[in-house]
Amino acid sequence: MSTPTATTGRTTARRGTLRALWPGRAGHGFVAAYVVLLIAFGVVPTCYAVYFAFTDGNARFTGLSNFSRAASDFRFVPAVEHVALYLVFWLAALVVLVVGLSLLLHRLSARGVSKALRFLYYIPGALAGAAGVLVWLFVLDPSVSPVSFLLRAMGFDTFGQVVAPGHLPILFALIAFWTGAGGWIVVMHGALNNIPHEVIEAARIDGAGAWQTARRIQIPMLRKWIVYMMILAFAGGTQLFVEPQLLAQASVGVAGRDYSLNQLSYDFAFQNNDVNTAAAISVELLLVGLVVAALFVARSGFFDAD
Amino acid sequence: MPTEGHPGASAFRTQPALLPADLEPRRSAARRHRPRNPLPALVLGLFVVFFVLPVLWLVLAATKTDDQLVHGNPLSFGSWHALKANWDALTAYQGDAIFQWLRNSALYSFGALVITLAVAIPAGYALAMTEFRGRRMLLIATLVVMLMPNATLVVPLFLEVNAVHLIGSMWSIILPYAFYPFGVYLAYIYFSTALPRELLEAARLDGCSEFGAFRRVALPLAAPIVALVGFFSFVANWTNYFLPYVMLPQSSQLPVQVGLGTLLDDVPQFNPTVGDLAVQRPELALATLLAITPVLIVFLFSQRFLVTGMLAGATKS
Amino acid sequence: MKVKFRAIGASATAHGRRRTGLLAIGALLALGAAACGTSTGKAGTSSTGGSFKPAAQTGGTLTVWVDSTRLAAAQLYQKQNPAVKMDIVTYDGDANGSNYLQTKVSLFNRTGSGWPDVVFSAENNEAAWAVPVGFTAPLNKGLIPQATLDGWATNANAPCTVDGTVYCLRNDLSQTVLWYNDKLMKQWGCQIPTTWEQYQALGQKVATEHPGYLVGVAGDTFAPEIYMWASKCGANQITGTKTVTVDTTSADCTKMAALLDTLIQNKTVSTSSVFSSDFDKNDADKILMMPGPSWYGGALFQSTFKTPAGQIGVAPMPQWSGDPSPSVGNVGGGTWLLSAHSKNLKAATDFLTWATTSDDYQGKLAPGYPAYAPAAKTWLAAQSASGYYADDITAPLTAAADQVWPGWGYGQFSQEAIWAATVSPGVTAGKTISSLLPAWHDSIVNYAKADGYQVASK
Repeated sequence: MSTPTATTGRTTARRGTLRALWPGRAGHGFVAAYVVLLIAFGVVPTCYAVYFAFTDGNARFTGLSNFSRAASDFRFVPAVEHVALYLVFWLAALVVLVVGLSLLLHRLSARGVSKALRFLYYIPGALAGAAGVLVWLFVLDPSVSPVSFLLRAMGFDTFGQVVAPGHLPILFALIAFWTGAGGWIVVMHGALNNIPHEVIEAARIDGAGAWQTARRIQIPMLRKWIVYMMILAFAGGTQLFVEPQLLAQASVGVAGRDYSLNQLSYDFAFQNNDVNTAAAISVELLLVGLVVAALFVARSGFFDAD
Repeated sequence: MPTEGHPGASAFRTQPALLPADLEPRRSAARRHRPRNPLPALVLGLFVVFFVLPVLWLVLAATKTDDQLVHGNPLSFGSWHALKANWDALTAYQGDAIFQWLRNSALYSFGALVITLAVAIPAGYALAMTEFRGRRMLLIATLVVMLMPNATLVVPLFLEVNAVHLIGSMWSIILPYAFYPFGVYLAYIYFSTALPRELLEAARLDGCSEFGAFRRVALPLAAPIVALVGFFSFVANWTNYFLPYVMLPQSSQLPVQVGLGTLLDDVPQFNPTVGDLAVQRPELALATLLAITPVLIVFLFSQRFLVTGMLAGATKS
Repeated sequence: MKVKFRAIGASATAHGRRRTGLLAIGALLALGAAACGTSTGKAGTSSTGGSFKPAAQTGGTLTVWVDSTRLAAAQLYQKQNPAVKMDIVTYDGDANGSNYLQTKVSLFNRTGSGWPDVVFSAENNEAAWAVPVGFTAPLNKGLIPQATLDGWATNANAPCTVDGTVYCLRNDLSQTVLWYNDKLMKQWGCQIPTTWEQYQALGQKVATEHPGYLVGVAGDTFAPEIYMWASKCGANQITGTKTVTVDTTSADCTKMAALLDTLIQNKTVSTSSVFSSDFDKNDADKILMMPGPSWYGGALFQSTFKTPAGQIGVAPMPQWSGDPSPSVGNVGGGTWLLSAHSKNLKAATDFLTWATTSDDYQGKLAPGYPAYAPAAKTWLAAQSASGYYADDITAPLTAAADQVWPGWGYGQFSQEAIWAATVSPGVTAGKTISSLLPAWHDSIVNYAKADGYQVASK
């Protein structure tokens, strides 16, 4: 049986009382198959990448030189700025709109309508990757767009003006929101359903309006799910890749192929045959994701069960 | 999971979680009495337009000729005749490549789905309900590999698969797909929050083995989580582009997402050098619709199934 | 049964758990390093260094990678040569900068197996990376007779040639010519310009007399290859395997930039892409003239714009007056590569030769202007016979095939991507191309350096 080799923190009695009704080795049996897959397709590739990040093409240990090579590349700093700006729009849109829409959906008294709306909001989620190129090529072109009146009202007459470099973070956030929000709304809606009805009812009797109920009861009780969404959305956001790649294809290159850090990493790996520098960028992204996840987890008690 | 979507496509952003909460609607049958305010309906309606309008455009695009697509009203219906012509052109592309792609996608997605469920549900159960050495380590390792950007993982993965001589086999796709840490997390959260411990305890007191308790108590209550892990795993695998793109050596093995990429590169507007065999944009729109239909059907199916599963679970407690 | 949420999260146990978590991560990384340390594949960046050692010739199946357009070539060959065991794989042809071929070859180099025998690529700069990583076999060192290689148009195989060795074969040429609307030209009594000065004057005349009509388009990623290349602008002088000279401010560049600025200003040169819906909808029927590559005829006028037959004609590219050596640009043109790892060099070479030179494919089926001159003759005859063009296309296309200016090289970095990201947005925002030339220069230098080039800039 394959089990994680390194032993970590001593098992505490506290956790024992919470979870295990009696100590047993059966747990290993249940997770064995998963551990095999985890090591084969998770741990080994990840550690392989970490190993790449600290060596050169001839497998010599190089310390941090891959990291400094990545950081001194002329595309690195702009890419960091692009991703940071994108994250602001993307996280703001996700938190405000997903939570807001979920609350509104939850207030709908007609269950059928709520369900239908959740389906409609989810549909773009199926249009990931290459499937979306055609859609955005047309939607963002004022001369053929179904929302051309909107684009023209904003002062855009040509596709080139719409995809001007300054607009890209907003466009990417828009595309990411369009494909990703529906799934999160389904999730948030489920979490809202979980709040005991008596709590809401009590608040209502106390004279709380919809807004106050949301602010004082529902949102605090959703906190865990919002945090969960933030961790995954933040990590996903720093790994921005699909949206710029998609728009680069739709816009004949105006939105470049090295817009984000992850694209840059990809370029290093496959354009310059430099897996090591590519891995260094990925490790940096991994670290940022882990630090943010750790902060969120620590501050929210996210992993506390029960 | 290391090979989600395009390189770097986050598994998390596009395929969010099932949450135990989602499985437990606690909607009261009581009518709510609120003053009618038109604003919420307006906002919800606006977002329907936002999410659906581009999709509607895509549906209509499949009914047009390329000429109508550019010169006609964006939201007009083309003609049945044009739809038929697009269908004929699409199905004639490289023999019947589109159906072969769909078959391949189904094979990879469902093959991986079966393994994922068989692996992730017990693992999530054990992480939630039993104590063993390395448990916390396992949870953290799962989180770490989930946060790793994918572009870099492709090279190690390819070398690994090559080392065990699976290049060219369908297992080079199915096995990496079957590793679905996200599903393990979902199952873990579900069991740790939704499975009444008293039931488990009772079963154990009755003399059930660990496995017996899992089979008789946990599994019957696991229908919603099976549906949800199944759905998200299916979507993740169906829409995955990069892993099969890099891994598979034969064009006859490609899944539909990679096939769409191939079609895209045969559209003159994206690749001017294609000449006479060009694919027209409405055909691409039609192919896109075919490619996303299974995802939507599975969504509708699992949305319905989730509710019944939840209720079944709730009545037992 | 219900799920409870704790409204207030962090518990006192958080600290202990966090430390455990950090330990776990550390352990994981250590485990990783240990696991990896033993199973390291080495990056296979062996250089051929001019001495080509073929793999053991064990024969077997001939694996051929083609894009779906070139699928017809492989299938026809299989039909004509049923005895050859072929495995035909379609891929994206590396089009649109997908880097698929390079990605796969770098993986195959690590695993030491899997290479296809013959590959078609829609890109013409594959040799820039494929030669250093040792993927391509030298063709003029015994595999293909020099007499055959001499049949290619002048400089057609320049993108494939490194230090005098030919590492791939050009499939089609994309020499630029001046496309024009014969009907409108006659109707308005215009003369076809032979110099850029006349071209500009005609543009200014059109701007006042027929506003809305176009004499050119500079909104595509390949605009520099149509205009700057033809004008002998030295922005992309690849002088060696990894050396490049970048000069975007010489007179050859600035006078072309000024010409374009003037005509963009008076709206006779469009800044939309010819493949954009915008252009198709609003400008496609307003083209008086348009400098562009040989494939514009079929791919653009005939298929995309659906311009009626009998209107479109071809003239030689304008030249700067007083320039004794006419020059044209080039936009694309695919290449065929032969794997240095092939275990079946004889069959692979036979197929490669057939695919690039045969009349049956290149002359009669291929969509692009064949790079192999004898096949080009057949191809041109077929085009003329179709009756689509207003006048003879053979003479100007044939002449242009030998006039592609050799000073513009085929580096690893994409001049198209650089132009699209650096110059196009500026032009859209209302800046002049002349004012963007320094930024264009800097961007080329940066990308060249990132790809490991030694840059000499003037």
